Amino acid sequence: MNITIALVRDTFREAFARKIFWGFFGCCTLNLLFLMFIMRIDVVQGAIATVSVFGQNGRSIPVQNMVPQAQSVIAMILYFMGMALAVFASAGLVAAVVEPGRIELLLSKPVSRTHLLMGRYIGNLLVVAANIIYLIAGSWIIFGIKTNVWGVGFLVSSLFTIFIFAVLLSILVLVGVLWDSSAVAIMITFAIMFLTPILAQKNTIEKLLSSEWSRNLLRFFYYVLPKTSDISVIIRHVILNQPVESWMPVWSTAIFGIVVLFLGLWRFQRRSF
Amino acid sequence: MPDHAIETEGLTKVFRASFSGRELRACDNISIRVPVGSTFGLLGPNGAGKTTFVKMLLSCTHPTAGRALVFGQDSRHPAARRPIGYLPENHRFPTYMTGRDMLDFYGALSGMDAAARHKRIPEVLNLVGLDDRAHNLRLGKYSKGMLQRVGLAQAIIHGPKLLVLDEPGDGVDPVGRKHIREILHSLEQQGVTIFLNSHLLSEVELFCREVAIIQKGRLALSGRVDELTAGSGYRIESEHVPEALETELRSRARSFISNNGTLQVLFASRTDANQAVDLLRSNGCEVESLARTRSTLEDVFMKTVEGPEAAKQ
Repeated sequence: MNITIALVRDTFREAFARKIFWGFFGCCTLNLLFLMFIMRIDVVQGAIATVSVFGQNGRSIPVQNMVPQAQSVIAMILYFMGMALAVFASAGLVAAVVEPGRIELLLSKPVSRTHLLMGRYIGNLLVVAANIIYLIAGSWIIFGIKTNVWGVGFLVSSLFTIFIFAVLLSILVLVGVLWDSSAVAIMITFAIMFLTPILAQKNTIEKLLSSEWSRNLLRFFYYVLPKTSDISVIIRHVILNQPVESWMPVWSTAIFGIVVLFLGLWRFQRRSF
Repeated sequence: MPDHAIETEGLTKVFRASFSGRELRACDNISIRVPVGSTFGLLGPNGAGKTTFVKMLLSCTHPTAGRALVFGQDSRHPAARRPIGYLPENHRFPTYMTGRDMLDFYGALSGMDAAARHKRIPEVLNLVGLDDRAHNLRLGKYSKGMLQRVGLAQAIIHGPKLLVLDEPGDGVDPVGRKHIREILHSLEQQGVTIFLNSHLLSEVELFCREVAIIQKGRLALSGRVDELTAGSGYRIESEHVPEALETELRSRARSFISNNGTLQVLFASRTDANQAVDLLRSNGCEVESLARTRSTLEDVFMKTVEGPEAAKQ
């Protein structure tokens, strides 16, 4: 435990030094300040809300509908933009560990390689998770105070966002230990992130494909790769308190993350530095 | 308690190029034994395979064949590395840490608890000659010499029984090197085994009792420094030697130096030296000194690496 704490603390220290943590924290704080001071919500008789931004009045809508809709917008922005930023920022943290001159000293310590890499993985995950929780919990409290709507769906959405980052981080880890390059790690992770919304249109694309093998190939990629797009739909359903049709995107993405992380650890174990 | 701090058996590392498949045999069947409590120097020209050997010893690089034992345990097991302190060559310490943070981090990885680290950190930082101001200074602001010192501090913080140092004097001024040598001597007296990988032959000769020389990935020579440097010649020094006698002695000598009336003659054998003494005495010359000669470690190194001719130059 002592060693895990040291590795996590080191990741936080590096995130602070590289201004990664403060960059995220600043963006989240700006969002919260926007919600707190710029967006005014007037609730009339506890049922109808009028939202105004920079003094411009919008239309009046039932507060029970308005709050989850607004929360889902925030969750989607965080899910797509926040993830892209988190991947961009985290790639360097993973690659830094395997830098020549640094890795030799780490490996000479009485710590297993799995422990070393998992310590960095957990530390990196916690850096991003702390900011996600800060933004979502902060937004949830502000909405709750302004509207007295305290639905937990928005809070639960933070777990999905952290989960998808954990999966993307496993890709960064694998590419990082394979090629020591944060640039390649970012490229591959972004490619997967941007490919999955296309794959999510599987049913439509299948109709356009003429051969069976190409349809099978499409299905293969759809089922194997993480389903960021489908999970964003699940998040929206959870926030809007609507039933989720299928949890397959979540568990198949989890399997992908576990397999990729395992491959990263396996490669790290076998690699000579 | 095993007799050897380090024991390698047929340690071999072959690197293969990804595309061409070309092989590079960085270490080839190296077997070395380093007794507990000794000071051992590993020497070799650039690219000889010294760093690869050290990396295999610490399990940073996986051997293609053979194995490395540290105090009788296979170094691939994390627990086997607990008694090791290591200072790498070309280290890249995290520049965002202060000296204190760095020792705290590596101390924790070495298995020290928080209380032990808290007590030990200022002690070792002071021991390696870093003042209070440097304790809380970021490593990014450290000079090369200070980085070597803090690197040594992280290597000894947990009280290792084996210290593996890769070019410890690199970037350190002569005063600093002497200080580091004194620290190492004090550790040696406490029974710590010291394994030194260095290009500075004079440093190794001053400090190590045993050496091994690696050449092209193979173990070329190993033994005690005093035995390896013990020469077979005899040096006689005399003054005011008559010219005819000097010529006679020169013809028998391996080498000579004549300067301001003082003659130093080096003979290859004891018989030649005894005959020279007889000649000098019979001609009424005083023998100022007579001593067995020693080679320097550099002579031994050059002879091993480049052949006997190189040592004579």
